[in-house]
Parts: sequence; C-alpha cells; structure tokens
Amino acid sequence: MKAIKIAHLYPERMSIYGDFGNVLVLSQRMNWRGIKNEVVSIEVGDKLPKDIDMIFIGGGQDKGQVVVAEDLMAKSSQIKDFAESGGPLLSVCGGYQLLGEYFISSDYGQIQGIGLFNVISKATETRMIGNILVQSEKFGQLVGFENHSGATEFIGRAQPLGVVKKGFGNNPDDKLEGVIYKNAIGTYLHGSFLPKNPKVADWLIRQAIKYSGQNIKLKELNDELENSARKNAARKA
Amino acid sequence: MRSLLAIIAAKVALKTNRITGSGGTALPGMLAQKLDKDILRKLVLKNFPKGIIVVTGTNGKTTTSRFIANILEEAGISYVHNRAGSNMERGLISTMAENTNLYGRVDADVALFEVDEAFMPKVCRAIEPDTIVVTNLFRDQLDRYGELDKIARSFRNLFEDLPNTKLGLNADDPLVASLGYKLENERKATYFGVGDYNGPKITNDHTADSIFDPFTQQKLHYTDRYFGHIGRYRGKRGGFTRPKPDFQANNVRQKGIENIKFDVNKTSKAIKLEMPGLFNVYNAIAAYSVAKICLDTDENSIISALNESSAVFGRSEQLNYLNREVVMLLIKNPTGLNQIIQTYLLKEKDRLLVFVINDNFADGRDISWLWDAAFEDLKGYRGKILVGGTRAYDMALRLKYAGLKGVSIESDENSLLKMIEKNSTRRSKIFILPTYTAMLSMRSKIAANDDKAKEFWQ
Repeated sequence: MKAIKIAHLYPERMSIYGDFGNVLVLSQRMNWRGIKNEVVSIEVGDKLPKDIDMIFIGGGQDKGQVVVAEDLMAKSSQIKDFAESGGPLLSVCGGYQLLGEYFISSDYGQIQGIGLFNVISKATETRMIGNILVQSEKFGQLVGFENHSGATEFIGRAQPLGVVKKGFGNNPDDKLEGVIYKNAIGTYLHGSFLPKNPKVADWLIRQAIKYSGQNIKLKELNDELENSARKNAARKA
Repeated sequence: MRSLLAIIAAKVALKTNRITGSGGTALPGMLAQKLDKDILRKLVLKNFPKGIIVVTGTNGKTTTSRFIANILEEAGISYVHNRAGSNMERGLISTMAENTNLYGRVDADVALFEVDEAFMPKVCRAIEPDTIVVTNLFRDQLDRYGELDKIARSFRNLFEDLPNTKLGLNADDPLVASLGYKLENERKATYFGVGDYNGPKITNDHTADSIFDPFTQQKLHYTDRYFGHIGRYRGKRGGFTRPKPDFQANNVRQKGIENIKFDVNKTSKAIKLEMPGLFNVYNAIAAYSVAKICLDTDENSIISALNESSAVFGRSEQLNYLNREVVMLLIKNPTGLNQIIQTYLLKEKDRLLVFVINDNFADGRDISWLWDAAFEDLKGYRGKILVGGTRAYDMALRLKYAGLKGVSIESDENSLLKMIEKNSTRRSKIFILPTYTAMLSMRSKIAANDDKAKEFWQ
C-alpha cells in the first residue's frame, strides 16, 4: 500500500487559525483505519512534490498572503493540473481567496490569485464574524466559525459549497458559502472545519485514495462525538 | 462640573455594585464616560507625580502588573492599580473613580494599569503614559482582536505619537522587538529577554506567528527557540535583528512545579519566583525593567519583591476544594496553554485534569484555537480527564484527535464539581484549566468551600 501524501501548503505563514486541526483530522481518520499517510509541509520556495494525493492550504494574515501569492503563482500550473485531474484540495479563508482570480486587500492592493476557482474577493468594511451554519447538497449540515472582512463573489460558472442558514458565508449578500470545483473546496469555515464536519474529511480522503490509484473501502468510524459537537455548534449559530 | 457629576455617578454605581454584590466594573465607568467623555484623561493626567505605567501584550499582563505592584509596595511608593479583568477603557475609568475624591484628586504617586491590546491606542493617547511595557504578541481571540500585524501597527503608530514615553519591549519576540526598531529621532527602547533556557519544551508547537522579519518578510534564523516565536534569533546583516537586552535573565533553573530561579545580567543576586514557568521569568524580567527605567528603585527592593510574589487570581493559583489541592490554570490562547502544558503537564501520568471551555464574549466566541495547542504532547498521560463548559464537546473532540482516552463530558458546572470530587481523593492534586468566564465561576464555586480564596471577593 502506497502512503497517501498530503501537501500542507505554507504552515509557517498560513496556519494562524486552527488550520493544523484540519490536517490532523485527515491524518488521524486515516490512521484509525490503518491507511498509511504522510503530511509534507511546503513552505515558500519549496518544490511541490509530484506524487501528492491531496493539498491543504489554510488562512493567514494579509501581510503573509502577499509573499505566499507570489510563490503560489510559481506553483500555479502544477496545482491547477492536480485539481483539474481530480486531485482533492481543501482551502480555508485566506487560502481560498488566493486560489480565486484575485483578492483586493485593504493594505496591499490587488493580490493576484491562481484562478483555480471562478471567484474574486475584495476587502470590505464589514467584518463577518461568528458561528455559521451551512446546508450543503453534498455534505448535509456544515458548521464552523467565520472571521473575515474579505467578501467573495462568483464570476462565471461556479458551484457553492452550500447555502448559508445562519451567518454570512462568501459575502453579506447572496447567502452562498464557499466553492466546490471538481474535487477542490474553498471555504470560510474555521472551527476547525473538518473535526465537526467529518463527512467532508472522509470525502476528501476517498478522493485522495482514488487519486493515488488505489482501491480501499473506508471503514465506518464511530462519529458520535463529532456529531454531538456539530449539533452543539449548530445550536449556537 | 461635568467631571464632578461623572465622578459622583461612578462612585454611586460602585457603591451599589458593592451592596448588591455584583462584581461588574464596566458599568460605573460607562456612566462616568456618558457624562464626560474625557473623564479618563482628566482623572489620570492631573495625578500621579511619579508616573503612569501601562502594561500590555497578549499573555502575562496581569502577572507582570502584580510583580510591578509588589515592587512599588516594597519600595514604599503608593499606587493605584486596576483589578485583573478591568483592563478596557471603562474598567480603567471605574478604577480611577473608585480612588479619586470629588475634586478628581488621587492620593497616590504612581498609576499602574494593565491595558487590553485593542484599547491601547485610545487609552494611551488619553492618558499619555510615562512608560509602556509590552510582554509579547501572539494570536489571541482572533474574533476580537483581528490580525496580529494590525495590532502591532497600531502600537507602532501610538509609540511615534507619544515621543516622551519610555518603552520596555521583549527582545525575544520579533514582532514586539520590531516595535522599537528605528524609531524617529533615534529614540531607544529598553529591551528585556532571556539568555538561556534548558527546561522542558513541548514538541508539537504550532504557535510561532512571527518568525519572519516584519519589515522584509525574510525568515529569521533562530539559534534557540524557547516557545512559539520566543527565543534567540537573528536577521540578515544590516537589517532588523534581536536587540541586545538591557536586562537579560540568565541561568534559568526550574524545580518541578514549585519555583523557578534566574539572575539578571549575570550580576544580580539569584531571584527565586515561587511559581514555575519560563513565561513567569519573562513577566518578572519585564517588571524588573520597568522598575529600573522609570521608578529608579534599588536592586534589593526589586529582588525581594519578586521573591515574595505569589500567584495571581486564577493564574497557577492554588485553592483548596474538599481537602483536595486545586491548581487553577487560566487558558486563553494556544501559546498560554502550551506554556501550561510545558510547565505543569509534560510529566503528568495520572493526575486529574479538568478542562472547562466557555465561548462567552470574554472568552472569545471562537474556539478554533484549541486545535493549535499542543495536546499531542500529553500523549503519555493515562489518567482521567473531565471536560466541561459551553464548548465541552469541542474540547472532548480535540482530545480524541490528540489520541487521549479516559475523557468524560459534563457541561453543567455543579455536576462537574461533583465529578471532580468523585474522581479524586483527599489530598490529591487536581489541575483545572478554564477559560476566563469558566475560571470566574469555577473559582467562586470552589471558594465557597475555601476561606482563603473567599477573601478576594470581599
């Protein structure tokens, strides 16, 4: 069995917000099923290995995003090829913004994204903060905590991750949250996102296994605690 | 006239608070501010002949302030000090109203205020402190404070607007140290730091927020990292680098969880803090610096004050609960929690651990930070863990993914206290790790059984 390789992009500059939790959940849910896995940290200037099966990128401060955006641009075609060919990817908050067409920040002007997602983001005066509840066709109820002043909107065809039931989501207006393109997800949900939304975690793992060319059926795990925590968080939204 | 009315209103509200037994400190300040919006400035500026000291930073504000207060006492200097938790604008106004006469006069030489980072620009522009000390800057309640860089920028602008204020900065925190780099008119900050640390360290540290040169975004080179982004580092030649500390703690030696020893600049007598933890050495060396730069206190007073200091309200404070020894370890953010794990829990195998996690406004509404703390370092722990609070399920989930077993959930605090009793025996030692509002309520419930702790509430 070949180990499932997760590339964690920019943990030094883009993991200010519980992002480690997302990677931990992916890794543990494979460990508990006896699926070998490996997390590689990719920093600015590092090469992205060719044999990765999943990409994760978290959130950072605006300042860090400028440096990261440049480095992402150098990896742009590799990341896009990966996603276009069905590679699973999860991006949260700042990472999500940088995978869109561009992000207009309040302090650093327009930061160019790699354009994987058909979205653009702009800094606004509204700070969108609080518990958030989302209904997703694919994953059911999703919970998290959002904290962003960048508002994201779709340009052209794009599929949202879900519809906002409580909170803001992509922006204060259209009640849509996140984006999903092929097997790549962008979202504003922290919390961390994956611990209380294990269906998304398992879906990502399934796609990674498939992408690695292996055929492993995922065993059911006891998610009683995950589900209780999600229900408790949903009540707070 | 306006300020007289404001003082009277605040005083009446303070009295009422005391009679009704409600501990709120914001309301009297709010009333006074409604009547006179410049009341804080008026009350502070015409008082305090020996100076106004402000302590800020993510972690260690309260303990550093307590150390400074003890030094002031030892040196026989009278002072006014805001209570733990009253560190926003209205809390400061309440503190002032409490200590002033009707003419706005305070009979004290020094004002010692700990100030919440978000309120620093507003409060300090009003009261123009003689000295500002910054302990450290870490990610903290991102829902309230926003990004760290923005806080740092607001501090930098504030410092340039207050050219006569003396600055005491942590040399070992790159973001804090950078606040004193190339200030206008060749103004120099005073730096404090730690020269060496060989005590226990956690291995799963995800809290290094500022390991880059804040001006060029180049990575700094660490020769020794103590925790988070705190340590000895250097930048590129000719650019920003770790400033040489004016006051440096050396020979840091920790003995169990009883105490920690160090000396200053290799010349002072040994200082022995009756509380463990490298973070407390930072708090002490910060207080030491303040005493040196603005109080002109003699060395012996400083050292004996530090030696005689005891833990502050909820911060490694020891209480008695039904003949069990309870240590209250307030947790607010991943760095603070990591320091507690590093100091108290790395060697623990079977002691009762109790986490109480609330998500009220004062705790921070967002609990994402639990995922950044180093619970993985507790992997050798085999004892019982109880979790409570409004976010008990999130805490239990975090422990599950850290691979810890033996976790029980009880959201209700009274039932949780019963579980604590059931899962421990007389004379056993229990560690309670609560968030802020959980600390207040757990502490008052435990205090109902402990006369020593009760005194605080009177």
